[in-house]
Parts: sequence; C-alpha cells; structure tokens
Amino acid sequence: MQPPKHYIVISLSSRKPHTCLSPLPAGWTEHKAPTGHTYYYNASTGVSTYTRPLDAVTSFMQHQAVPAINLSDPNVANAFMAQYNAPPPAAAQHNQRHDQGPRRPPPQPKDKPKSKVPIPGHEPWLLVYTKYGRRFAYNPVKNASYWRIPEKLLPAVVEIDKARILEKSKPTGANEGDKVLPKKESDKAEVGAQRRPAASAEPTPAQPDDDKGYDSSEYEEVEVTDDEGEDGDHDEEGHARKRQRTDEPDQPAEEAPVEFTEADIAAQLAAMEADYAQDDEYMDEEDDETPQLSELDARALFKDLLDDFGINPYSPWEKLIEEGKVFSDARYTVLTSTRARKEVWEEWCRERIAQLKELRAKQEKQDPRIPYMAFLAEKATPKLYWPEFRRKYRQEPIMRDSKLTDKDREKWYREHISRLKLPQSTLKADLRKLLESVGLQELNNQTRMERLPGKLLGDVRWISLDAKTRDPIVEAYIQSLRGPPEDGEQTGEEEEGAKKAREEKERRERALRERERAVAEEKRQKEKQLAYGRAQLREEERELERAMQVGKRGLQSQLDAGRGERPNDR
Amino acid sequence: MPAIRHASKRKPPPEGFSDIEDDLLIFSNQMKDAQNMPTDNIPKHQAQWPIFQISHKRSRYIYELYYEKEAISKQLYDWLLKNNYADAMLIAKWKKQGYEKLCCLRCVQTKETNFNSTCICRVPKAQLKEGQDIQCVSCGCRGCASSD
Repeated sequence: MQPPKHYIVISLSSRKPHTCLSPLPAGWTEHKAPTGHTYYYNASTGVSTYTRPLDAVTSFMQHQAVPAINLSDPNVANAFMAQYNAPPPAAAQHNQRHDQGPRRPPPQPKDKPKSKVPIPGHEPWLLVYTKYGRRFAYNPVKNASYWRIPEKLLPAVVEIDKARILEKSKPTGANEGDKVLPKKESDKAEVGAQRRPAASAEPTPAQPDDDKGYDSSEYEEVEVTDDEGEDGDHDEEGHARKRQRTDEPDQPAEEAPVEFTEADIAAQLAAMEADYAQDDEYMDEEDDETPQLSELDARALFKDLLDDFGINPYSPWEKLIEEGKVFSDARYTVLTSTRARKEVWEEWCRERIAQLKELRAKQEKQDPRIPYMAFLAEKATPKLYWPEFRRKYRQEPIMRDSKLTDKDREKWYREHISRLKLPQSTLKADLRKLLESVGLQELNNQTRMERLPGKLLGDVRWISLDAKTRDPIVEAYIQSLRGPPEDGEQTGEEEEGAKKAREEKERRERALRERERAVAEEKRQKEKQLAYGRAQLREEERELERAMQVGKRGLQSQLDAGRGERPNDR
Repeated sequence: MPAIRHASKRKPPPEGFSDIEDDLLIFSNQMKDAQNMPTDNIPKHQAQWPIFQISHKRSRYIYELYYEKEAISKQLYDWLLKNNYADAMLIAKWKKQGYEKLCCLRCVQTKETNFNSTCICRVPKAQLKEGQDIQCVSCGCRGCASSD
C-alpha cells in the first residue's frame, strides 16, 4: 500500500530561509545562489535543492516559522498574493503537510490510515480515510493508491459521501461534539485547498500506473476540497463532512484498526517526505505551472514587473540578476523557474524595443544644434575658455551628443563668446539680418513665438542677444511681415525649378516653331521651283506646238516668219 | 577594444549606439578589472579565464541584441564588430548547428590538442561520468554542448 506521491509546487518566495533552522543533515552544505536565494548542496550525491534538507524525523517540524512576505508593491501584488496568504494554519493543516513553504501551516508529525470503505461497484478499490481526514483511493490488488480519486470511481465515491452525510444529519453519532464549526475556518480550508496545485502532481518512477489516475484534474484534492469533490453542488454537505473530519484527529488512531498496517502507511509517508529532498532538482521544471494563475496572467504580471522597475530592455539578463532589484517584488515569483523568467524577459525586451523604435520614428527629428544653442545661451560665459567649459559640463547629455562633433561645438562656443563682447547695436543688426534671411514660407505674420523655425533657433546670432531684448524685436518683425504665401505660390527653390522648367519649355517651343517655319519655307521654295519648271515645260510645249503648226502656206509662211523675224539681217 | 582616437577625428557611431553604450561600458570596465587583476596566486592556465569569459559575455550580448532581440541595426552591428566589441569569428560559430553555446574558439581547435580532439567542455553532460565536474583548460568553461 502506497500513498501516492504528491509534488507540491513551491514558489521561490516560499523558499526563504526559516527563522528557526534545524541543523543540516550530514553531507549537506548551505550556499547562496546569485539570485540571493539560499540553496543546499550535497557534495556526496551531487544534489542541490532550494528546500532545506532535513532528517525524516525533523522534516515535519520544519514549518514552524512563518515569516510574513514583504511585498514591495502591495497594491499591485495584493490581488495575487491574497490567494497565497489566505489559509490559516488551523483549518488548512490537514492538507498542507507536504508543503514546504513558510506561509504554510505547521504540519502534523504523522498521518495514518484510519478507516477504509469499500467502494461499491468497483470491488477491489477501497476508499481510505487517514487520521487527518484526508482520503485516497486504494487498489489492494494492484497495490496502487491515488490522492486524486480516479474518474471511474467518482460517482461511487459521491454516493458514499451522500450516504454518509445523511447518516450524519441524524444526531446520534459520538462525533457531534463540535458541530458548530466557524464557517470562516471552513472557507479558509477551501482556499487552502485551491492553493494546492492541480496539475503539478506527477507519477513517480515507483508508481508507474499513477498516470491514469491523474487525468481527472479536479478530483485530485477530493479529500480536502469538499466542494470540488462533490461537484461543488452541496455546500452544506461539504460543511457537514468537514465538521466530521476536523474532529477526527482528536480520536486516537487505534480506534479504527485496519487490515493493512499503519506502519506500512507511515513508512511510505515518511518515504514520500524523504523523496522531496531529492526531487527538488526537478522542481524548477515542474514549477513552470503556477497553481493559481494561468500561464498568460503570470507572464503578464512578470512583464508588468519589468515595466514598473524601468528595466532597460537593451541590458543583458545577467545585469538584471546582478542588480537584484526585482527579487523583492512578489511578482518575481509568479514565474517559478529562472528559465521561464528569462524566456518572458526576452519576449518583453523584444516587444519593448519594437515599441521604442516606433516611438522614435514618430518623433520628429530635431536639429541637434537647437538644444546645444539653448544650452550655450544658458551656460556659456566669457569667463570660461572652451576647454574649461567643456570640462565643467562634460556630463551634460548635450555635450556628449554624438550627432554634433566636438569641433563644431567648440567653434560655436568661441563664436558665441566673441559675439557677446560686441555692442548691442551690432547684435541687433545681425539679428535683423538673420530674420530677413528666413523665407516668408517659414516666418510670416502667423508664426507663433513658440514655434519659430529651427533655422533661427540653431543660429549663433539668435542667442547673442538675451531673450528679454530679442523677443520684442522678433515680435515686431513678425508683425511687419506679410501673411504666409498662398498654396499655389511656390517657395524659392521650387519656384526657381519651375521657372527653369518653363524657360526650357519655351525654348523648346520656340525651336519647334522655327523648325516649322524653316520647313515651310523649304516647302514653298520647292513648290515654286516646281511651278517654274512646269511653266517652262509648258512654254516649250507651246513653242513646239507653234512650230508644228505648218499652214497651207507652208514654207512661205515659214520663210516669212523667218524673214519677219530677222528683218535686220540683210 | 577599439582604438581610441581623438574626438575630432572620430566619426560618430551609428544610430542606436547610445542605447547600449552604458552596458558596453560595464563590460569594458569588467575587462579592465580582469586585466589588472594580479595573477600571482592562481594557476598559470587560469590566468586568462576571466578575460575569455568577459569577452564571451560581451560577444553574446551583441549577438543577442542583433539576432534575437533585433534591437540594433545592421550598420551598428557591423560597426561594433569592426571596433572589436564582439568576436566576429565566435559569432560565426554560434550560427552553426551544434555550436550554439560555444565558449571560445580554442575549445574547438582540434589541432592544438594532443589527440586532435575538442575540449572537454564540448562533451555533452549526458556523456560525462555521473557527477563529473569539469572546467576546461582554455577558458574555464563548465560545458558548452548545445544539448546541455
């Protein structure tokens, strides 16, 4: 007969060293982890654990000290911690025996099987009640036992409970003595029960067939969580049973002899305790499941913690651990293994950096000269040479800004200092010049004094005059300006570009026209030539025709014509 | 570490350097401390362990910033490598399967060992004897197999 192993998730916060410590067993040494937590190392077995290793005898007594957790940020953490802190020792002690946490109530030295009830319908199975009112299912044939009532047994167990409660309601039993149990206490017991990890129980190598039993998640704690065990339907029944159970410890264990020996069970319970020390190694991995918070909540809480402490997302993980600022916060223990924490931290870093990048992209780019000039106007004095000035203010962020070179800084400083010695009238004239150099687009009569263009603010001439004398001048100048140019009207450079383009276009058009004219001219000349040629052709034709027209007079006329043509030849 | 040039001849580092400047300064201070630590009473082979370890940490920091957190730009990453803030050869190894956690380059340099083997720290924990505690000779690594 083996009572099942019951692994309890132990959060880091609960691992704080106890105030009254029993001596360590032989072979164990105490160390401080880099996180500040104490851990114990056994050089001979190579086992390290956060929980203080104890002899089997003393292990039950170790929980006497219950140091209060100091929440650094109670407002934020309260909601979470309330679940932790609720159970008082009196009511919860029956089920908290294995819990190693300091806030857990002091456990009783030994738990023993007290009575057993065969489960009707599932013959080999027994329902075993222990001295402290816990119960578990036991299969003597397979020699398997489960704190969590296996699913197939549940209906039968519920039946048993109902029958028992009905029996109890008749005032006959000897157990009726303290029927009036304060409700508060039972409530607390319930809270305590919830606190037990539902999924953290794991089958041990010694009990390979535990697996099937742990599939039914809610019923693991049947022996303590009355409402859960009974499908949460009969509250008053739960109370009735609680009453019965709470007075059970008062009775001597011998009252209910059982066929499997108590020594058997006791030995196994002790073995379970002893195992904890060895199993602590694996706890970190098991701890990934927080009992009360969902995975998501836990991660979110841890991220909030990182946010609240202003952790630099660019810094390495080791820095966070070395600084150790976050350890005091209760939210640090929400995630119970360092691996999980690191994972969440990495995720948070990535998110935060992306956020920062976005933010920076949105911010308008400011000319680094503007803050430097403002700084000069405030701090520069003719009493300090540049090297002195630089040494004096080397810690200022603006003096270390990598966007400006030291050369420029020096140049502007010297210029500013030398200008401070000039007469006011020169400075005013220079300011006037500076104002005039700014285009109407940037500076016009609708510009407000708070939003002056960077061209002005980043100029040495701007800071030469102090604000008291400068501002009236600037205001007067702004008043004298025209309104901002129309949208259609372009600014200087654009205008220039457009003008150029227009000229180009004109030039091209002119060229085109000229070309057209030339072509037309050519065409006309060609036509003229053609016409001339035709006319000549026609002339010749006519001549020929005339020549061919030989009349009746024939030769005579020809001759006449010849004669008539050359009358002077003779 | 990068050579220190006069401020007037220095080109400003790429955008985003100011974010990691402080952390890099911490690393460089650690490195300075390690370099100035007297080595009189420690074994000779251990004298350089802290140097290796800090350089590994700094390289890892930059590697994670660029490849995992994606926090720095390519320009800045290149600039950091160029200025010897991180060991580019080591980072090149980390990108290879099986070398994700490599502690230092000497530990995979098989030609430098008697039996042409890698360092003991490259052996997975599972293959070591139970409870065997190792620290490698070159950098004091306690095990950098990827499976650990």
